[in-house]
Parts: sequence; C-alpha cells; structure tokens
Amino acid sequence: MTRFKFNGDWRKTIRVLPQAVIVYVLLAALVILMLGPYLYIFSSSFKETYTLISIPPQLIPEEFVWDNYSYILTELPFSLWFFNTILVALLVTVGTVLIDALAAYAFAKKQFWGRDFLFGLMLATIMIPGALLLIPAFLITNWLGLLNSYGGLIIPGLANVLGVFLLRQFMQTIPEELEHAARIDGCSDFGVFWRIILPLSAPALATLSIVVFTSQWNNLVWPLVVLNDKDLYTLPLGLALLRSEFQVNYGITSASAFLSVVPLVIVFLFLQRYFLEGLTVGAVKG
Amino acid sequence: MATTSATPQESGLTDTSFWKRAGVRRNLSAYAFILPFMALFVIFNIGPFFWALWLSLLRGDIVDQVKPFVGLQNYLSLTTDDITLKVFLNSLQYTVSVVPIAVITALALAFLIGNKLVRFKDFFRAVVFFPLLASAAATAQIWSYILAPRYGVLTYLTGLLGIPEIYWLSDPDWALYGILLIEWWRGIGFHIILFLAAMLGVPEELHEAARIDGANAWQVAVKVTIPLMGPVILFSVVMGTIWAFQLFDTVFVLTNGGPVHATATMVWYIYNHAFRYGQVGMAAAMGVVLLLIIMPISYVQMRVLGER
Repeated sequence: MTRFKFNGDWRKTIRVLPQAVIVYVLLAALVILMLGPYLYIFSSSFKETYTLISIPPQLIPEEFVWDNYSYILTELPFSLWFFNTILVALLVTVGTVLIDALAAYAFAKKQFWGRDFLFGLMLATIMIPGALLLIPAFLITNWLGLLNSYGGLIIPGLANVLGVFLLRQFMQTIPEELEHAARIDGCSDFGVFWRIILPLSAPALATLSIVVFTSQWNNLVWPLVVLNDKDLYTLPLGLALLRSEFQVNYGITSASAFLSVVPLVIVFLFLQRYFLEGLTVGAVKG
Repeated sequence: MATTSATPQESGLTDTSFWKRAGVRRNLSAYAFILPFMALFVIFNIGPFFWALWLSLLRGDIVDQVKPFVGLQNYLSLTTDDITLKVFLNSLQYTVSVVPIAVITALALAFLIGNKLVRFKDFFRAVVFFPLLASAAATAQIWSYILAPRYGVLTYLTGLLGIPEIYWLSDPDWALYGILLIEWWRGIGFHIILFLAAMLGVPEELHEAARIDGANAWQVAVKVTIPLMGPVILFSVVMGTIWAFQLFDTVFVLTNGGPVHATATMVWYIYNHAFRYGQVGMAAAMGVVLLLIIMPISYVQMRVLGER
C-alpha cells in the first residue's frame, strides 16, 4: 500500500501532494462536523445564560462559570438520574449476558428436541418492531406489579435475541475437544459452561456487554412508559423532561446533555474495539 | 414451550426409546440452560406479540378492564383518519429521504477515509463513531441549540452565506428535515464504519488489475469496489430503513410531533394513542401496520443473521 510519506521518492510525493491536501481538508471538515457539536455544548455548558443567545455565537465563553453544573447537581435530581442509569444499565448488562450465554451454549453445543424450531422462532421475532410490543409489554409489567420500579426497568429487557445469536455464533467455534477433556476430568454440564465455554467466549461477551450497556444507557421509550416517579428517572428521560421545563435555558440543557454522554465516551476510549464489533450486530443505535 | 417442566409424561413422549433414538437423553440439561431465556422471551416477546394482535381488534383505554371487541373497525378508522394519513406520509417521506442521503454520503465519506493517502484510519473511524454514543435525548439537546433560530450556530453560519433563515424545528415545511439532519448526524457513523470495513476487505490486486486495464479512480470505485460491497450496502439500506420507520426518540424530545403534525411518525402515533389519548386499539392497529411494513424489509436482516 502506498501511503503519503517521505520515503525518498520526491517525484511521487510532489505528484500526490495536491490530492493529499484536498483529502485532508475534507477530513478536517468531517472531524469538525462529527465532534464540533460535542465541543460546542461543552463550551456552552460554561456560559452565562445571557451570553448563550449572543449574536454572533461565542465559540469559547468569555468567562467560564460553573453555575449550570452546580444548578443541575444541587437543584435538580440529576445525580439521582445518573445513579439510576448506571445501576439499571449495569444490572441489565450482567443479567442479559448471563441469560443469553446460558441459552447460546445450549443452542451452539447441544442437540435437543425443538432446538431448530425455537431458534427459528427467535430469528423471526427480529422482524417485530419494538413499538408493537410496547403496549402489551407495559400491560404485563403492570400485571406483574413492576410499574414504577427498578424491576420494571430491568426485567423486561433481559432476554436479548440478538445476544443469543452473537454468542452462539462465537461458541460454535470453540473446539469440541476442550469440552470432552473437561468432561473426562469430571466436569458437570454447568461446570463445562462456567469453566470452559464462558472464559473462552470473553471477547464475544465483552462485545455483547458493550452493545447492551450502550442501548440501556440511551434507552428512552421503555423508562418513559414504565416510570412516573421522577426520582426513578434515567438520564434520557431526565433530559427529555429538562428539555420541556428549561426549553431555552441552553446552559442547563447543555451541561446535562454533556454530563450524560461523558461516561460512554470514557468507556469508548478504552474499549473501542468492542464498540466497533458490536456495531455489526445491528443493535447499537436504539 | 420448552421448559424443564416439559417432562416426557407431559409432552406425551413417554416412550423412552424415542429419547434414545433421538439421542437426546444426555442433553436434557439443555432445557435447563435455555429456561431463563425462554421464560423471559415468552413473557416479554412472544406473548406480547399475540396480545398486540388481539388488542388491535379491541377498543378502550389502556387501563380499562373490559375492552369491547370491534373487529377490524380500528383498521378501517386508520384509513379514514386525517392524522393517520399524515403520519403515514411523514414516515414514508422521511424514510425515502434519509436512507438514500445517509447511504450515499456514507459511501462518499468511506471512500474519503479509505483513500490510500490517509493515515490514522483508526482515528477517523473513532471520530465518526462519536455521534453514535449519545442518546437521542442528548443529541436532541445539542442540536436544538445549534438549529435555534437567530442565535443558533448553524443559523448564524448559513446567514453568513446569505441563506435566508430557516426555522428548522418550528416551520411545518422544514421540521421533518430538521429532524432528518439530526438523525443523519446521529446515524451516519454506522454506515461509514460498515462500508469502510467492506472496502478495506476488497483485495488490492483487483484494484491494481483494473488500473492496469486503464481504469481511472472513479471507474475503479464504481465498477470494482462498489459492486463488491453490494451485500454490505444492502444490509446498510435495510437497517437504515428499519430505523427510519421507527423514528421516535428525537421527535418526542424536540417537537412532539409538531408543528401541526409535521413530524408525527408512526411510532409517535402509537405512543400517543396508547399512553396519552387512551386509544389502545388504534395504537395497536398502527403497530400491526408498522409490522407489515417492517417485516419484509427485516426479513433480509434475518437472513443475514441466520446465515452467519
């Protein structure tokens, strides 16, 4: 692959230079377009309210103020929403990964009556739009007495069909011999799953965890339907509420939107690879 | 359904030779492994699916104990109601606009990042992933400020270019495109990253061969690279279409369907009629219509997943 670098071939370098300049100018524009909005609300979150509506818009605040952050952290239940989101996203992630891994193991490694039918049924449910299930899922959650509770936020989301596919596909690649060896050493069925399959599936488990965590962190519709109590709100629901209550107070909304994104950005910077892999599962964008 | 309680007696399969013949006895524990998943799957997926079909034949409030059976009345009402017509048109207009725009721009941007001269491709891949990290609610906050009339950054910049002020979210003629702009920003990374992976997977020899045959860069892209990316482009179009028909979050946070139903989508209709206006039957009927639209498109997605 020929790349733009000084490898001594000056004639070639000079020939591709104009093209390289155009390419990098366009890439710079792309970076501004993709990251600019984040940087802009970050900067806006430190502005005084009156400077937010100045013309021309200030890209960098003339004077940094912490008022917006102190307001959302002291006057609003923002830290509570933050805690709720972390709790719910973590519990859903752990629960989903465990439940999906158990099922995926059976589908990948075992013969049992009805397996292909059940797998086909699961495949078919991918075609059902979530909005159709919203009403009956709400009624069932109500019937189970889980409305307005953490349980109602967590339990209905635990069976993730795409997760079973992802894990099953990965587990199928684990050689049978490892299982047989463990069985000869006296491992039980669950022992094989827990000691052999699960550790070897770590990359797929990580990818699924990221997918589930991200979509839970950003989930708006289900909390919207299930919750009444503002103290149980998660961040997306809280942001929607702020939007209607502080419509033009952009300092407040910018600070809260920015804070809500920070944790995922930090996780992304460390675990990028799993985010990229999870993308092809087709479940990241909720 | 398959649960561990489905013992041979209960399922009528008392003949033990069946179990031996099928070679499954040693694998009965499989049912224990799938039990937690299947229980939740039946309660929160399969059950609700059939219940939703039933609800579409009823009339009543979501909390009503007794909902009278009205047959296909809800579906007939959908065809005569002005709002539903507007909702269908909005969803259709939005989908046929956003999907081609997203796919074509993503293709162009993937070629830009995939260009041989570009180093640090991983960096640019990460950059286009960033918008995918924010929730629709956060993105809506960010963009409502950028798109704001008079003091919004975009409004200011377009003003500098002499473009007349556009009320992106409050003009009924523009609001759907304001939403489209935001959703484009939110989702474009998905398409770019998918295309980039497919593009970098095309063997270099094929490009070389085409170039030796005298093809220019444009011809190589159109005649060699893009055809080889066919399946990925199809997947991208399918996913984009599925998401577009289910647009809700951004609309709910920013415009709540307004102004004058300009951004009212099918899912917006379902949510509002079920949980605000107390018309569960109509909402469920709209859900079934959405299912009928999504199903054939989603069938492709299912096949792709099934093949793996």
